[in-house]
Amino acid sequence: MERIDNLFHSYANTSLGMIDPEGIETLCSDMEVDHTDVRILMLAWKMKAEKQGYFTLEEWRRGMKALRADTVSKLRKALPELEKEVKRPSNFEDFYSYSFCYCLTEEKQKSIDIESICQLLDLVLGSHFRAQVDYFIEYLKIQSDYKVINMDQWMGFFRFCNEISFPDFSNYNPDLAWPLILDNFVEWMQSKQT
Amino acid sequence: MLMIRSIALYLDRTYVKQTPNVRSLWDMGLQLFRKHLSLAPEVDHKTVTGLLRMIESERLGEAVDRTLINHLLQMFTALGIYSGSFEKPFLECTSEFYAAEGTKYMQQYDVPDYLKHVETRLHEEHERCLLYLGDLTRKPLIATVERQLLERHIHAILDKGFMMLMDGHRIEDLQRMYSLFSRVNSLEPLRQAVSSYIRRTGQGIVMDEEKDKDMVPSLLEFKASLDSIWEESFSKNEGFCNHIRDAFEHLINIRQNQPAELIAKFLDEKLRAGNKGTSEEELEGTLDKVLVLFRFIQGKDVFEAFYKKDLAKRLLLGKSASIDAEKSMISKLKTECGSQFTNKLEGMFKDIELSKEINESFKQSSQARTKLPSGIEMSVHVLTTGYWPTYPPMVVRLPHELNVYQDIFKEFYLSKYSGRRLMWQNSLGHCVLKADFTKGKKELAVSLFQTVVLMLFNDAEKLSFQDIKDSTAIEDKELRRTLQSLACGKVRVLQKLPKGREVEDDDSFVFNEGFSAPLYRIKVNAIQMKETVEENTSTTERVFQDRQYQVDAAIVRIMKTRKVLSHTLLITELFQQLKFPIKPADLKKRIESLIDREYLERDKNNPQIYNYLA
Repeated sequence: MERIDNLFHSYANTSLGMIDPEGIETLCSDMEVDHTDVRILMLAWKMKAEKQGYFTLEEWRRGMKALRADTVSKLRKALPELEKEVKRPSNFEDFYSYSFCYCLTEEKQKSIDIESICQLLDLVLGSHFRAQVDYFIEYLKIQSDYKVINMDQWMGFFRFCNEISFPDFSNYNPDLAWPLILDNFVEWMQSKQT
Repeated sequence: MLMIRSIALYLDRTYVKQTPNVRSLWDMGLQLFRKHLSLAPEVDHKTVTGLLRMIESERLGEAVDRTLINHLLQMFTALGIYSGSFEKPFLECTSEFYAAEGTKYMQQYDVPDYLKHVETRLHEEHERCLLYLGDLTRKPLIATVERQLLERHIHAILDKGFMMLMDGHRIEDLQRMYSLFSRVNSLEPLRQAVSSYIRRTGQGIVMDEEKDKDMVPSLLEFKASLDSIWEESFSKNEGFCNHIRDAFEHLINIRQNQPAELIAKFLDEKLRAGNKGTSEEELEGTLDKVLVLFRFIQGKDVFEAFYKKDLAKRLLLGKSASIDAEKSMISKLKTECGSQFTNKLEGMFKDIELSKEINESFKQSSQARTKLPSGIEMSVHVLTTGYWPTYPPMVVRLPHELNVYQDIFKEFYLSKYSGRRLMWQNSLGHCVLKADFTKGKKELAVSLFQTVVLMLFNDAEKLSFQDIKDSTAIEDKELRRTLQSLACGKVRVLQKLPKGREVEDDDSFVFNEGFSAPLYRIKVNAIQMKETVEENTSTTERVFQDRQYQVDAAIVRIMKTRKVLSHTLLITELFQQLKFPIKPADLKKRIESLIDREYLERDKNNPQIYNYLA
């Protein structure tokens, strides 16, 4: 426990009592991982970090204990295991929705702008549903109806990737409760295909 | 044989009758004849073919010995071989004959002639039955003819000639078609044809944006023509009535909202003053007809919005042709859509009437008699905010006299009805000005904005656009419109320098000293009656805005009672509740917006289900 705390303090910003973005960057470079790597997001998920770019002591303890790590090298070694854990279907949906909430930086913010969403999609879902993600990002960038994406649409896309046959959309039915943006996306794809 | 019987009559009457198992002479004779005839089948055969040939040649228009045929056939009947030997081949032969004829004539004749021909043929065959064929043959015979001449060609007839008949409004031919078709139970295809005809023709009327102006009259005419065809040709068949109604409803709604707007405008035109030449009764009639169209309209809210806007102008600017007609229209709408629909419209009338009383008592009041500036008369309409369309507030710097007047009225009004708030709608005001031109005195009926501009010329000869703008404070676009109406329209009380249709920033204006006109009183305020583009879009927008709220309210209402509901069921219920056309995608948008605002949530386990969040 003590060593976990010590490690925390070596990265923490003393005036804030938290690890701040700068501390996270140092941590990343110590672990030789890029700070935009999806594994950092996974680490945040494991810690249940609430605020983007910051780890509190409590969050840190929770994460490190779960990963059984008290040094940087142990933490680094735990990462592949963590990645496997996240990718288990039972955890992945939770991780996916967590990643959206993690990006809500402002108080009462409920949606995320298109550009960030595209990056996030690529990061989180890119390795699972490459084709869907690429096309959806392309669509998001050219459409003009939506400037932001909310949680409902975010989760809707995840269901969409899991349930809908791609790229023929044979089991897609716009009369069901799919968010409108997905109706439009499918329509766009279909007009592109013909 | 008759002779033999007569000779042996006694025998026949006494012996034969009393002895069983012995046939009467007559029967015996017949039996013998039949026996011999059956022994000689070629005779039988020859007679039948002979008969058939004769009938065929009669059908082809030649004269034949009908008595002979009649006698022969009576013989057949007497022998009891009529149905066996004759009827069957006869019907076959008929069938062949008419099959060939039907195909041939369908190609050669156009539809009305063909139908006429069919009718004659049916008549002929009927005659034939009366003249020499047996009664029993009539049914199968007529059925055969109908089948060959009509049933087989129903679709060809409809495809080939129906449009033409409808277009040509050929009542008689259509009636013939109807009665013939009803003989063979083929009214359903005819109904279909009617409804597709209406859809196609109607689409032409409704979809052509260039003819928007004539859409309502054309629709009225089309409907009237359909009604007369229905009455006179289709003997008011109820099924047809329903089909016509459905088809009409469909066509009028293929273009959303526009027809509703145009109907409202059409009514405005009819109800507006200056519509001379139409009597009260005619006007009533037109209103009734338009109401029929209105019944078909799905977007009644669009109609209401435009009707209200136009009604407001008619009432406020005193342009209504007849208050009675207005009121009768309102009561018609009331019976059609219920009092909720007309509530506000009626409120508008009430305001106008109340305003008259207020004006009366204002004139009698002490404030008015003591404080009012002389030389002006003013009457005020006091409008209840909720009833009338909303008008954007327009700023204008009024001349001093009018300001004083307004203040005194306000004081008077508030002393009578305390706790109310008066707001002046400058854009709706209109005035009559007395003007001295060199060629004589005139009275000018103008809008308030026009007045304010004209009054400036009491003190100045020439003013630049900027001067006018500064001293009146009228909004730029509105001012341009106003100046245009005064200097570039039919009646030019101002002169614009330099000349031109549009008002530019550095134009200046001069009072047109030499203005002349044949009439003493001149109306220049037509621009107030005219609908501007902005007005139109804002009315439409408001309707859509209202619809959005209505959708939201409906969703919340449904979800509040159901608490949990699947997407599909929610959509179905919404379609039942909402009284205007709307796309499922728009409903989805509203649902999602309500999710966003946390009125609803998507169920965590089943994304097809919504939960109501209290």
